[in-house]
Amino acid sequence: MAEKQKLIEIKNLKQYFNVGKGNVIKAVDGLTFDIYKGETLGLVGESGCGKSTTGRTIIGLYKATEGEVLFNGVNVHAKKSAKELKTLKRKMQMIFQDPYASLNPRMTVADIIAEGIDIHGLAKTREERMQRVYELLETVGLNREHANRYPHEFSGGQRQRIGIARALAVEPEFIIADEPISALDVSIQAQVVNLMKKLQREKGLTYLFIAHDLSMVKYISDRIGVMYFGKMVELADADELYRNPIHPYTKALLSAIPLPDPETERTRQRIVYDRSQHNYKEGEELQFREITPGHFVLCSEAEYEKYKTMYT
Amino acid sequence: MEKLLEVKNLEVSFQTYGGEVQAVRGVSFHLNKGETLAIVGESGSGKSVTSQTIMRLIPTPPGKIKSGQIIFNGEDLVKKTDKEMEQIRGKEIGMIFQDPMTSLNPTMKVGHQIMEVLIKHQKMSKSAAKERAIELLRLVGIPMPEKRVNQYPHEFSGGMRQRAMIAVALASNPKLLIADEPTTALDVTIQAQILELMKDLQKKTGTSIIFITHDLGVVANVADRVAVMYAGKIVEMGTVDEIFYDPRHPYTWGLLASMPSLDSDDQTELAAIPGSPPDLTNPPKGDAFAPRNPYAMKIDFEMEPPMFKVSDTHYAATWLLHPDAPKVEPPEAVKKRLRKLSSNYEKPVVVKESE
Repeated sequence: MAEKQKLIEIKNLKQYFNVGKGNVIKAVDGLTFDIYKGETLGLVGESGCGKSTTGRTIIGLYKATEGEVLFNGVNVHAKKSAKELKTLKRKMQMIFQDPYASLNPRMTVADIIAEGIDIHGLAKTREERMQRVYELLETVGLNREHANRYPHEFSGGQRQRIGIARALAVEPEFIIADEPISALDVSIQAQVVNLMKKLQREKGLTYLFIAHDLSMVKYISDRIGVMYFGKMVELADADELYRNPIHPYTKALLSAIPLPDPETERTRQRIVYDRSQHNYKEGEELQFREITPGHFVLCSEAEYEKYKTMYT
Repeated sequence: MEKLLEVKNLEVSFQTYGGEVQAVRGVSFHLNKGETLAIVGESGSGKSVTSQTIMRLIPTPPGKIKSGQIIFNGEDLVKKTDKEMEQIRGKEIGMIFQDPMTSLNPTMKVGHQIMEVLIKHQKMSKSAAKERAIELLRLVGIPMPEKRVNQYPHEFSGGMRQRAMIAVALASNPKLLIADEPTTALDVTIQAQILELMKDLQKKTGTSIIFITHDLGVVANVADRVAVMYAGKIVEMGTVDEIFYDPRHPYTWGLLASMPSLDSDDQTELAAIPGSPPDLTNPPKGDAFAPRNPYAMKIDFEMEPPMFKVSDTHYAATWLLHPDAPKVEPPEAVKKRLRKLSSNYEKPVVVKESE
């Protein structure tokens, strides 16, 4: 694990939205983390915590308010020539959350999937292009007859698979998957997750996997970051996070996952998180601190000491 | 136990340009008073169509109830006219939909949407209805209901809207509550709250609940009994313990095995069910699950399996329970869950058609 290569470096990333009348929403409020080559970083949190915004800012859909994102050492938000931008866009792809809104209703499935192939000139002939589309459709669990249909003819789950096929079409290095499986059925979720893992092994893909389904996130991720109100409150290896959650919010989140086991469900004890329980004093500085190696928690100096003695 | 609802051999189909889609193909189940029945299945398995048929919300045409009975409180809902259904829908049977964003009226105050039910079905006066609306909002755990009652849905968060939906559905004390994926769009923490709320309300009001979901974790949390649907049919039905600790149908095995468990560290592949559900315009001969079933035998492709009874409450439709079937081992992930249940019969019994 020593020579992990950083693919993405995120430094003090901030994304504020001006909502008028002087109100500013701090959707992402100072994130710093790295994503290593070939790993899957899971990002979890409740809706509105800024996890989707983080993904969109990383890929450059939003212009960051502050901070920077480096992809292979190249600043995503810096000014670039059209050609540089094109190469960068090919290497980073996104699978979106809403399968209803992210596919053009007036394009056939084949054209949707092949759009990237066309733009980047990845297929030389029509046959090759269609062949590629058929292959992609089959990899995501659809069949080739679907190629000439339109998005409205598909269920939400099937549309999401089209979105995945589209992202895979340009053979990217890094995929931001924003709740890619939330809309799918359990059996299909497993197919897609297996598929994503297989693709990762074969092509060395790197994923940022954003989701609120914590059991699936744990399964697919190497490391997991927990977000709360625009900040990352905890970051650790997937197993470590589930075994030894430190931040009270993480504990509350974990205690809310329903498990497919009636007996544990009958005796479930849910922990409720209240932000005021920290009792931070005024002027106390919250920082992302390393409690045990590779396990970071957002905490104050006093909490840091407490956690240190509790968990080491 | 008193039966509140009994669905017998229900068949529903839709006329489309591509042909007739047989969405529900002979579904039978019952629901006791005060219990929660979870219906699980993939999209397109017919679970939502079944519940919407009970509410008679299927647009006809293109939809059509081809046969079957829905006995609710001793009356057959299939035979009711639309006018008669209006007296039942929202009053005797309440429904919570998946998407709280689209199922509330955005131009009406939340309070009014609750009051509407009360004024129509319970003939309450406006002021009494408003008071009850506030009470209901408090019941579902919305803070400051006096203020919230005068707000519009857009002023509510997703979880709050779902709570408001529950308040609307509960307004007329329905005997039956149908919840169609009520927590799918919500965060886990909010989901946990809503599930707790529903269980709590059930204890207070004694409502029966049909809970439709594809999340097995949620099923384990809320259900008393579980019906597993596939391709328009119930393939397995039993108490929650029977389904989770002694599943018999390969499809149920597949569903259970495809869930990652939180405590396993192994990085093995998830046991996904290969392929996708069949096209119901042209349902396959034999067992509809056979093409995706690694345990399928020759007979599965030729003849539909009958229902076998494993215990008084546990049914499964698979040839594997036939005395002549070879013994098979369920997938690893399922084997870990298996327990010996004392209520099982010595041998599975075929259920006769007439039962």
